[in-house]
Amino acid sequence: MTSFDDALRPGEIVLEHASRSFSVRADRGRTLKEMLIGRKRAGGPPPVEALRDVSLHIEPGETVGMVGRNGAGKSSTLRVLAGIVPLNCGRVGCGGQVVSQLELGAGFGREFSGRENIFLNGALHGLQKEQIEARLDAIIEFSELGDFIDAPVATYSSGMFLRLGFSIAAHLDADVLLIDEVLAVGDEAFQRKCEARIAEQIAGGATLVLVSHDAALIERTCERLVVLDGGRKVFDGPVDEGMPFYHRLMGTADAVPSPQ
Amino acid sequence: MAYRYLFEQMVRRELRQKYRGSALGVLWYLINPLVLMGAYYLMFGVIFDQASEPDYPLFLLVGLIVWVFFNQAVVSAAPSLLDQGALIRKARFPREIIPTSVVTVQLVTFLALLALLAPITIAIRGSLDVALLLLPLVLACLFAFILGFALAVSILHAYFRDVAPILSAALLPWFFVSPIFFRPESITEQRTARFVLEWVNPIAPYIGAVRDVLYGGVVPAAPELAYVVIAAALALLGGRALFRRMQGELAVVV
Repeated sequence: MTSFDDALRPGEIVLEHASRSFSVRADRGRTLKEMLIGRKRAGGPPPVEALRDVSLHIEPGETVGMVGRNGAGKSSTLRVLAGIVPLNCGRVGCGGQVVSQLELGAGFGREFSGRENIFLNGALHGLQKEQIEARLDAIIEFSELGDFIDAPVATYSSGMFLRLGFSIAAHLDADVLLIDEVLAVGDEAFQRKCEARIAEQIAGGATLVLVSHDAALIERTCERLVVLDGGRKVFDGPVDEGMPFYHRLMGTADAVPSPQ
Repeated sequence: MAYRYLFEQMVRRELRQKYRGSALGVLWYLINPLVLMGAYYLMFGVIFDQASEPDYPLFLLVGLIVWVFFNQAVVSAAPSLLDQGALIRKARFPREIIPTSVVTVQLVTFLALLALLAPITIAIRGSLDVALLLLPLVLACLFAFILGFALAVSILHAYFRDVAPILSAALLPWFFVSPIFFRPESITEQRTARFVLEWVNPIAPYIGAVRDVLYGGVVPAAPELAYVVIAAALALLGGRALFRRMQGELAVVV
């Protein structure tokens, strides 16, 4: 895999002929015996091809929704863009500061307070202490956690978890925002607030890639739609053309009343 | 060093998380090795007293803290990447930070033990000598050697889950053949056996060098000192190269 982040403008995303497969064994590590014998365990299901020759070029400031069935490769694409999972072949690059919201609350030390977790999460994105301190009040205020900010995260409800996670991600000055279906957990008021915050960041020049099964959310937030199916890109274009295509693909076209 | 603060956070997390909620807290980091050292002293300093060295307890303890540093660092680094799997799957940051912070915590413990032991040793042995100026160099090399080793072990264990069990099985016999209770020259006349004890075991020259400076008040022999420097460079470069080569799939395997 080659990465060429440095050659890109902040907010620009490039994916060229990207392919990636995953082994679907329950125990993911190889044993030493297999290494010494020099072969993989026979039998078991073949690897799943999560991405097959996907190419994508996203300009800074674009808002891209990504839809498809479960297992179509949406989350894999985000993990590849976030630089967490390498490609088997092809190239990937994201310019500038990439902030990803891939797993709800993942990485939170459960024994640590919300405040301590703000510092840890900021640090995970390469921020220094002073940079996090400068954002601390805004993050706490946005999260609406109040005094709970000093309680251990283990005592949080899943909604509080989400609010903290999103509040941190929303204040990291992203050039590229990668969001995977995490907004669905919050209540309606907080969801609206998140959407407003995302819109603010986009207005400030950030690029958004949003994976969601919520067609309405995507239509509100995104201008461009990418439809994935079986690891391949089957549609890439304006969201108002893409949604009917997506609904046809899913066999739900009849369920959605289309405006005459 | 954009991730300097992350490293700081990880070290602090590691220090606080492990014994969080226990009455003695971080003191456990000192108590465990102290108890271990007490047990070995009882065993080899009192019960099987061979006392071929003057001030045998100090001879033993100086060697023992070097071993305990090595042992604890490697044992805690091995599962560290798996333990922090949630972070690895969440964000892109230099993965070396995880085992490095674990080893750094053990370094802090080691330095605290050393700060207790060194003044006593120097006072009793009268080993205050210019040789002591070499101690920072020897300790820096010791840290580099252990860090390199720990990087290799942690990345290997993430892919091959047999590594940590093999290692913990190996560490006990390894401990007994390391020159902690004895000097190789005082237990065997045979040249091959001495060579193996002194040079094949990579931790042996470090124990020897720290002991020379601290307990003996002498400058380590040139070959020993050269070994200490070269092994540190090789371990660190090799461990880091292996880590970088293998780290790509970490988010998939942990």
